[in-house]
Amino acid sequence: MHLHVNGRAREVHAPGHASLLTVLREQLALTGTKEGCGHGECGACTVLVDGRPEYACLTLVGAVDDAKITTIEGLGSPAAPHPLQIAFAALDATQCGFCTPGQVVSAAALLAQNANPSEAEIREAMVGNLCRCGTYPKIIAAILAVARGEYGALPEGAR
Amino acid sequence: MARARKGRRFITTTVEVEGREEVKVVEMPAFDVAPWGDDAALTIVGQRAPRVDALEKTTGRARYTADIARPGMLHAVLVRAHAAAGVATVDASVARAMRGVLDVITADEVAGQLASGGAKLFERTIRYSGQPVAAVCAETLGAARAAAAAVRVSVAPAPFVVTYDASVAPGAPSVKGSGSNLALNSPLVESRGDIAAGLAKAQVTVSLTVRTPCALHSALEPHGAVAEWEGDRLVVWESTQGVFRVRANLAAAFRLPHTHVRVLCDFMGGGFGAKNAAGPHTYAAAFLARRLQLPVRCLVDREGEQLDTGNRPASLQRITLGARRDGRLTAIRCEAEIPLGVMGWEGGPAKIYHELYSCPNVHTTEAFALVNTSAMQAFRAPGHAEGAFGLERAMDLLARKLGMDPVALRVKNFAKKDEEKQRPWSGNGLLRCYEEGARRFGWSERRAALAGGDARAAVARDARVSRGASASLAREAVVDGRRVRRGIGVAAQCWGTGGGPPAYALVRLNADGTATVLTGTQDLGTGARTVFAQVAAEALGMTLAQVRCVIGDTERLPYTGNSWGSMTTPSVAPAVRMAAEDARAQLFEAAAEMLGVAPESLSASAGTIRSSATDQTMTYAAVAKKLGEVCIIGRGSRGPNVPKTGIFSFGAQFAEVEVDVDTGVVRVLRIVAAHDCGRVLNPTLAESQLEGGILQGLGYALFEERVLDASLGLPLNPSLHDYKVPTMVDAPVIEAFCVGGADATANHVGARGLAEPPIIPTAPAIANAVADALGAEPLEIPLTPWRMLGLAPR
Repeated sequence: MHLHVNGRAREVHAPGHASLLTVLREQLALTGTKEGCGHGECGACTVLVDGRPEYACLTLVGAVDDAKITTIEGLGSPAAPHPLQIAFAALDATQCGFCTPGQVVSAAALLAQNANPSEAEIREAMVGNLCRCGTYPKIIAAILAVARGEYGALPEGAR
Repeated sequence: MARARKGRRFITTTVEVEGREEVKVVEMPAFDVAPWGDDAALTIVGQRAPRVDALEKTTGRARYTADIARPGMLHAVLVRAHAAAGVATVDASVARAMRGVLDVITADEVAGQLASGGAKLFERTIRYSGQPVAAVCAETLGAARAAAAAVRVSVAPAPFVVTYDASVAPGAPSVKGSGSNLALNSPLVESRGDIAAGLAKAQVTVSLTVRTPCALHSALEPHGAVAEWEGDRLVVWESTQGVFRVRANLAAAFRLPHTHVRVLCDFMGGGFGAKNAAGPHTYAAAFLARRLQLPVRCLVDREGEQLDTGNRPASLQRITLGARRDGRLTAIRCEAEIPLGVMGWEGGPAKIYHELYSCPNVHTTEAFALVNTSAMQAFRAPGHAEGAFGLERAMDLLARKLGMDPVALRVKNFAKKDEEKQRPWSGNGLLRCYEEGARRFGWSERRAALAGGDARAAVARDARVSRGASASLAREAVVDGRRVRRGIGVAAQCWGTGGGPPAYALVRLNADGTATVLTGTQDLGTGARTVFAQVAAEALGMTLAQVRCVIGDTERLPYTGNSWGSMTTPSVAPAVRMAAEDARAQLFEAAAEMLGVAPESLSASAGTIRSSATDQTMTYAAVAKKLGEVCIIGRGSRGPNVPKTGIFSFGAQFAEVEVDVDTGVVRVLRIVAAHDCGRVLNPTLAESQLEGGILQGLGYALFEERVLDASLGLPLNPSLHDYKVPTMVDAPVIEAFCVGGADATANHVGARGLAEPPIIPTAPAIANAVADALGAEPLEIPLTPWRMLGLAPR
């Protein structure tokens, strides 16, 4: 099966009913996408599927073989981080960091849809991403700062 | 400057962890380090540096235990029994035959294989629902999960108890199999003064009974381990709060010397007290890896995490307070009942009743009953979070009965010393917390307005109303079509946060003039790695970018204890500082030789060494280059705490709520939190800790409860869908800050712990605000809508 992941065509060997999360983590070594629950309850596995935020744990790999998938690694790297990745780091919107990739990906999806969200719109859009360490106030601040352009221009669309 | 210490190298001292005391022989540091007092000119410590590992986390490159993949690695999944008590029969015949399955281990396979006193893995006797009975090991995670689902576990049922009352009833089935269900020398009685005399002296008394729920840690990263044998040596990656404790656990279970067990934890996804030891997943991974001679990863799934990795036990507290008419407490009494689980320790609610307020007569009892539910584990401020709910609700009722401002009542009963142990505090900023917290909250103005004064005038007067405060302060209002009542509340906190020995660090200067901090601690998301790099950079006179802190490896790094009891910073930071001071002193001797000056004339900042004698400068890099591969290693150790001194952190939180009178939904609008933890090493990270504790406290107040079916003995909500932790929508505006200065009595870095304190006062502050809003007394958390709708007016 072929997948389009982070701008590259990747060959994977998995039954169509395998979860996208398992394939990303176990076959493609894209371990930035985390498993917090496996049941679509926590949001740690959020990835972009054609720009939409999806829970990778509930996404069957066979259903997305013609879609463009973007993971946290595809948004940016330590050498070339996405503005949200810079802002989350600079404003301490991460504590243990386990939920952080999912939070950043959800935030990227939000800003792609709504470049200037209100605080209430941010809360609504991010409600599916749990953080047990309690970084919510700093995540809100980071997304608002990126929307104001304080951390550079957002890339054109999701890759 | 360092000077060699005289006298004995090892002394006997008392170390305190979460209120428990242990007498230990500890090493005195080899030299004294002058304390960083408030007047110390620090340029890196105390600054808002971003986490040194932040970008690794935000780009998904940080590697957690579940991300470790070893060549040939297999996947193990635990199988659990879903019955409260009985004898399990495990039929794995179908699972064993499934594609990709290499092994299934049950009680039969492990019997006699692990040392007793080490691990208990897979017993046939079931004592609680969620108890693991087998592990399936397969080529892939998917195959392992499918096979685990195919293991048939049947339990021949036995009588059980899951509530306190049932556990202590005559003729109750024994949870252990034989003997009484009362545990831990119950009832534990702690007393000072004469409680009867104190109550007789009281002019006003209040009595109430409160209940707190069983709460689940619910870290986003479940427990997990990867185990690999290198010959007869075991290497384990574990998501843990204590790599050295896991090493000791594994060494005991597998009868290995410590030289043959290496435990690693670089990044870990939250602990909150549940990850303090090796667990069944660890032993299963190591056991299977040895049997199959291949690396094995065993991750606990979310259901297992919520069922069987620890909890804050429920409590019932019967409280009586007595006071004089001027508010001075004359008596504090609390009788607590705690259904502990199948095992646990004495982390009950009583201690805060003895510590927080000045009162000559205090009497508490705690009765711990074993029940057929999973074992408790320390959960962020174990005991104090429960106890604060009872004590601070009681203080609220007392203030109302006296007609006193609740803040004034607390100030009136401020404890100038630790009355429980009759010793001074190393420092106590609680009065400043009340004052500064009330000021930033606008406490007096809001209180007056809600009591019927001119709301608009109060808002106008309150020039410092922070974001999130109600625009109006009328008691009743219609907000977005909802009829709401508003209220405010306050609660206070104390928690022992002194840390202590043993803890060690090394600072190695590299040949390019950079420095590496080596200390075997772990960073749970607190920012430990960052603050230790800051402390080392400060003491070395280098920039933060020139220092890297390496943690979480029992083989290559020196010992530190578990990250519990808010003690990582106060235990390890002094060792790191001392190691850095030692390394700097050695480098200065080398630089002095190169510059032809006395070492005493040298100082360093931002990586440059300067001689006050000749004004010559030389960078660390230049000195290191001249030294070549001459290796400078500084060694630091944590000395004992000052004897007979209470080292505690304090705080006060103020809550503003709206309660929807038609639906009973409680919405927390704002929390103002003022805390004192001595020197703040990094204000940004401190704020994050405070916000995190407050949000967990908000969950405890409003949503979180493990729900048991008492007739079946089964937990009904072992998922993050049904066990509700706060979401971003629930997060109030939080204004959290620290008021304290350096506590040079606590240790030479001046910092006390901060991790656990912020969860303690949040739930009572919110409940007190709800009481204010509704004119009724919520005595049980979580404050669910149906409970709010059922509250009788006062």
